[in-house]
Amino acid sequence: MRWGMVINLAKCMRCHACVAACRVEHFLPLHVTWAKLIAHEVDEGGVVDVSTYPVRCNHCADPPCVHACPTEASYRREDGIVMIDSDKCIGCRYCVIACPYQNRTFLSKDKDPGYFPGYAKTGFERKGRKLYPHQVGTTEKCNFCVERIDAGMAKGRRPGIDRDATPACVNTCQARALTFGDLDDPESEVSKLIRKYNGFQLRAEYGTDPSVYYIDYRIGGAPSNKAPEHARTGYNMKHASTVDRDAARRLGRSTVKGEAKQ
Amino acid sequence: MKARTSRQWIVPHEWMVLPMRQVEWIERKGRLVWLAEVFSALGMGLYLVALIAGNWWATLIGWLLIVLFKMPLHLFYLGKPLRFWRAIPPFTKAWKTSWLARGMFFSTVFIAAGFVQLLMSYIIINGVASGAALDGVTFVNWIASILAGVFIVLTGMYAGFAMSYCKSVPFWNTDLLPLVFLLMGVADGLALLMGVGLVTHDVDIERLESISRVLLIVNALLIVVYLAHAWRRRSVAKLAARDLLVGRTALVFWIGIVALGIVVPLAISFATVFMESDIARPLIVAIVCHTIGAFALKYALLKAGIYKSVLPEAL
Ligand code: SF4
Ligand code: SF4
Repeated sequence: MRWGMVINLAKCMRCHACVAACRVEHFLPLHVTWAKLIAHEVDEGGVVDVSTYPVRCNHCADPPCVHACPTEASYRREDGIVMIDSDKCIGCRYCVIACPYQNRTFLSKDKDPGYFPGYAKTGFERKGRKLYPHQVGTTEKCNFCVERIDAGMAKGRRPGIDRDATPACVNTCQARALTFGDLDDPESEVSKLIRKYNGFQLRAEYGTDPSVYYIDYRIGGAPSNKAPEHARTGYNMKHASTVDRDAARRLGRSTVKGEAKQ
Repeated sequence: MKARTSRQWIVPHEWMVLPMRQVEWIERKGRLVWLAEVFSALGMGLYLVALIAGNWWATLIGWLLIVLFKMPLHLFYLGKPLRFWRAIPPFTKAWKTSWLARGMFFSTVFIAAGFVQLLMSYIIINGVASGAALDGVTFVNWIASILAGVFIVLTGMYAGFAMSYCKSVPFWNTDLLPLVFLLMGVADGLALLMGVGLVTHDVDIERLESISRVLLIVNALLIVVYLAHAWRRRSVAKLAARDLLVGRTALVFWIGIVALGIVVPLAISFATVFMESDIARPLIVAIVCHTIGAFALKYALLKAGIYKSVLPEAL
């Protein structure tokens, strides 16, 4: 068994609901985010197209973060979930540097000022901290909602199928862009999606074998991977990059020459 | 054929989208890692060359640089310093894969073996033991010297291995990095040993200077090869090399590493060959410059740690 996720880039509509769901589920400190959205823009002959990439820990099958960790605080469970034991972590941050996907965050004091900085913690926060201690001085990352998976499976539920055994981000995605399931099971929904749409992993060249796959019309490589024009993530977003001055400033800074397209 | 440009951007997570610098090991509290690594190079170099040259005081200073500076600085950097023991074998089995766990092991063995070596050689030098006891002490000293010598080299190099392990930081991800750590450290050690020699007057400074000259030239070539290697590799490694040569770290590179770390010590070293008068003053200048160069080198290397972006179409 190897838990994995398929993210359909053609469906994601950049609502940030997965980011929020993760924050609520894990009572994340104010300046820590486990699941993130990043945007990618392609300009083809003046036609600007934006895609959004939901990213989180890839729960790599060959995780550099685990190999780098000097204390075995980072480890990989038999079901493929990469975990951090905060009671063992010494806060050396080697894993933060070794993770090629920059998915780990060192929780320093200033990242955890409370939800209302300068005020006492709310009852909600206090309760949350009992469930998720978030130790300052240690490193954190997405855990695939391992607590939901374990508790759900103990009740006989199936992750990816039954909501109470499925990661919060997957449950909450209103566009159904996220699918969760067992990568080792060829009949699981995730395996079928990867096969059908030529799912790809981010930066596969690192040899980390991520358990998070993407399907997209553009960079999966195969023609079957193309979504119809109206379904493309950026179809309704062309406007955004032209009006947002702040974005334009960044665009100017981050221009990257791509290869010419046939 | 239509021209295609790809750009990546977003407001809160641009570090994943653009090639961004690593900050954990160089900014804010991360500066402790930089300092620890500098003392690691200075301690390694001094201890090693002093051990070979048989200078007890210099080996003591080299050992102290590791014990009093490198290790505490690393310790203070940790988010949970009191748990440091978790990184030391046998409390962890991570040494099978983790260069930091290996480094902790190397440092611990060096500190222990170095202590024994210092103690035994003190006994020998001061004639505290005689007869069969002296034979025993000499034997233990011999074993401890080999152990300490091997493990100080490993202590000085492991950070280079740890950094070169990071595939997403192409400027570091090369087998040359541990070699840079070793050779630069030895050159630092030679400079410091000359400094000790100026005080104790029991060091063959002329001989050290001629070795140092060769090593400085080798190191200058090594830097050129390292940068050329980075330049030849596409993308982010080249970006980091450019950052060092003409970018934000250029001042540290040209003034700190090239001018103070190599050119000035090398020029002084050549000039002293023809000097009739007292060479102590220029030598002190060379040693100070060289040591500043050691600080600059580690700073620039850590600063040049630039990640590849997460998305495949970026740089
Ligand atoms: S994405 Fe990063 S943190 Fe997650 S398993 Fe892979 S290397 Fe580790
Ligand atoms: S910060 Fe913690 S989890 Fe990361 S490598 Fe260090 S000890 Fe391991």
